[in-house]
Amino acid sequence: MAERSNRQQSESKKRKVNRLESKRLELLVTVVNRDKADFYQDLIQSYEVNMQMSMRAKGTASRQMLGLLGLEETAKAVIFSVIREDRVPDALAALEERFATIKGGGGIAYTVPMTSVIGVAMYGFLSNDERTVKEDMR
Amino acid sequence: MKNFDHELILCVVNAGFSDAVMDAAKAAGARGGTVINAHGTANKEAEVFFRITIQPEKELVMIIVPSALREAILHALYKEVGLNTPGQGIAFSMPVDNVVGIKNEHEDTEE
Repeated sequence: MAERSNRQQSESKKRKVNRLESKRLELLVTVVNRDKADFYQDLIQSYEVNMQMSMRAKGTASRQMLGLLGLEETAKAVIFSVIREDRVPDALAALEERFATIKGGGGIAYTVPMTSVIGVAMYGFLSNDERTVKEDMR
Repeated sequence: MKNFDHELILCVVNAGFSDAVMDAAKAAGARGGTVINAHGTANKEAEVFFRITIQPEKELVMIIVPSALREAILHALYKEVGLNTPGQGIAFSMPVDNVVGIKNEHEDTEE
């Protein structure tokens, strides 16, 4: 009986350890000019991001302002990237730097915390955690 | 980088009403937004039962706002482009935990 309880305790400890080790995921949303979307996707991918979705969007600059600039609308791209929490500060710092320094490369980026994801393989893929892939499958 | 100072307001409206959304949001203090074309889905049986047709072409307007302005902007959206208006808008907010690229109040206002 005592042995069983010990085993249960050690199993629960193991589970706790596993839970502590797995990092949370965040959804990184980046809004940039459409012609710079590929550049920013490549940049974000270098921060261990395995899945990104990009979609066409338009900015909402006032018509008056656009008329003055001789433009009809502002073509934007919205990039959704799933990123591991511990990579967020570096990724955002890199984005912030590029927003400020690249001509026509301005934009905004923000993260929304994800609360759950189902499936070990899916979590491993999204978090770029190679430990979730079994040895014989590598 | 800022933490928890901003919120993301998402507003789903019938296609063509994103300008009305931005007008209402800007009047309440928002500065800029981004519009994505979207396709809505509705419960067909409910549409028949209630004799309401939901226009499937939608626009999704994303607006990052300072947390302090959230209530005022959501209220303005409800009033100007809410479900009882031709825009049939649904607006809600989400917490955002890191933001970069937002210019300060005195700089140019467009994203």
